[in-house]
Amino acid sequence: MSLKGKAAIIGIGEVPSGKYPDRACIVSAVESAFMAIKDSGIKPENLDMIIPTGTVYNAQYNSEMLTGRMVEELGLTGSVKSNVQVFSGGSSSSTMLKIAAGLIETGSAEFILCLHSEKLATGISSSQQGIDLFSTAGVSNEWEVPFGQHYSGVAALATQRYKYETGTTDEQLAAVCVSNRKWAELNPNAMFRKPMTIEEVLSSKMLSRPVRAKQSNMLADGGSAFVVTSAENAKKYTDKPVYLLGSGSRVTHFVYSQEPDLTRFGYAEAAKDAFDEAGLGPLDIDVMEIYDSYPIYQLIGFEQTGFCKRGEAGQLFLEGKTWPGSKYPVTTNGGMLSQGHTGAGGGVAMLVEGIRQLMGKADQRQVEGARFAACTSTGGTYFDSFVTILGTEIPN
Amino acid sequence: MTVKEKPVPQTNPWSEPFWKAAREEKLIIQKCDDCGYNIFYPRLICPSCFSRNIDWIETSGRGTVYTFTVVENNAPSAFLEDMPFVVAIIRLDEGVQMLSNIVDCDPEEVFCEMPVKVTFKKLNEEFTLPVFKPQ
Repeated sequence: MSLKGKAAIIGIGEVPSGKYPDRACIVSAVESAFMAIKDSGIKPENLDMIIPTGTVYNAQYNSEMLTGRMVEELGLTGSVKSNVQVFSGGSSSSTMLKIAAGLIETGSAEFILCLHSEKLATGISSSQQGIDLFSTAGVSNEWEVPFGQHYSGVAALATQRYKYETGTTDEQLAAVCVSNRKWAELNPNAMFRKPMTIEEVLSSKMLSRPVRAKQSNMLADGGSAFVVTSAENAKKYTDKPVYLLGSGSRVTHFVYSQEPDLTRFGYAEAAKDAFDEAGLGPLDIDVMEIYDSYPIYQLIGFEQTGFCKRGEAGQLFLEGKTWPGSKYPVTTNGGMLSQGHTGAGGGVAMLVEGIRQLMGKADQRQVEGARFAACTSTGGTYFDSFVTILGTEIPN
Repeated sequence: MTVKEKPVPQTNPWSEPFWKAAREEKLIIQKCDDCGYNIFYPRLICPSCFSRNIDWIETSGRGTVYTFTVVENNAPSAFLEDMPFVVAIIRLDEGVQMLSNIVDCDPEEVFCEMPVKVTFKKLNEEFTLPVFKPQ
């Protein structure tokens, strides 16, 4: 049984990402939810399920979200029958949507609000605490933590091997940051919007060789949400539902050093499943929201999902073929490198951006006539590879 | 600035033989008695054939660098004093992969596919880490 075309997203919401010391995390959650519900056109009491994904900056806040705080905040104790956390780190966006679609298709729920909120920029005490938090989150405390593993090191390990196997240059890797920034310049919700150059990236501080400071995402506060319902319901609320057409995923490791191929992960297999389910191929895709967090993962995600041959992605980015107005609109919200890394929300923001593009609501960065989008995501230390295909129509 | 103590491995009961051997400066891994698969890190169940008949073997201690990085800035607190240091994924001749550090050489000299052999770094009385140096 396929979920192709069975469920659709009818509303989205998002607050700007960045440093917002005076914005409580619950404000990001409520505002995002409010926007998504208003955007969908449903009455709040139509919602019968809320899926908040995980928040890591504060365990107390996370426990409140997973025990129904949003149900009360939105005044929905009379209609929401279940509040269930779905959390797989950065791929939570894709897992939330897939699970929501499955529940809708089986009649277990009718209108589901999926949401995320995080306060990673101002909810923790220092950037060093952020580094320390992410030197243990999803990292094996027996087999990796004792050796000094942490997230920029994790990215560097993949980058080094990828450079070795494909000949990709530091300049090409830096071009990913520049490309994402080009899009972020057009995105009012992005944390960083000032133009960026390759020289600027390559002269920034070396973190874990060859990854430099400006090739690293920046932790951010943020929130985003979307409303999912059946394809049939969707037509009553909008003339442009965004259908879930296909999804594919693989889990290729837990402990990062156990990954058999740090230059591929499981995207090729995930993409095949997703495209087969959708009845589409890479050439049909108008918008590619490729998960970044660091340039290396965006290159790997882009080429393994099938948009170019292995090892050729870097040159496409360097030549500006991924910029606004070019052949491959890639990561059009600016990604975590420019919109900011809101934990699991980095992936949610990217999925929301894919939906936004298909809804035709991306304003200055709108990809004209976009019908089909591919969104990738991955969680933890890149333990899974997720590919989600969305569309404004259901192809045969 | 106070230096944070190094994190020691948070062990599991079934991995104790590994850490005991490391204290004795031996690098051991598991081997499945049923399918012959070499296993690292230590498991309760063979990840190749689901067998529970798992034994231990001593490795050659030799392998190659699959990939590496030189940590120059923004290390976790406990490792700030060590910068620059090399984190690497080693592929042992026995076919398993493990995260470790490359020591006893200039970080500039490390490269992908570099042949390395195990050496040991004592953290405290309880824990000794297997690390690697050029062959």
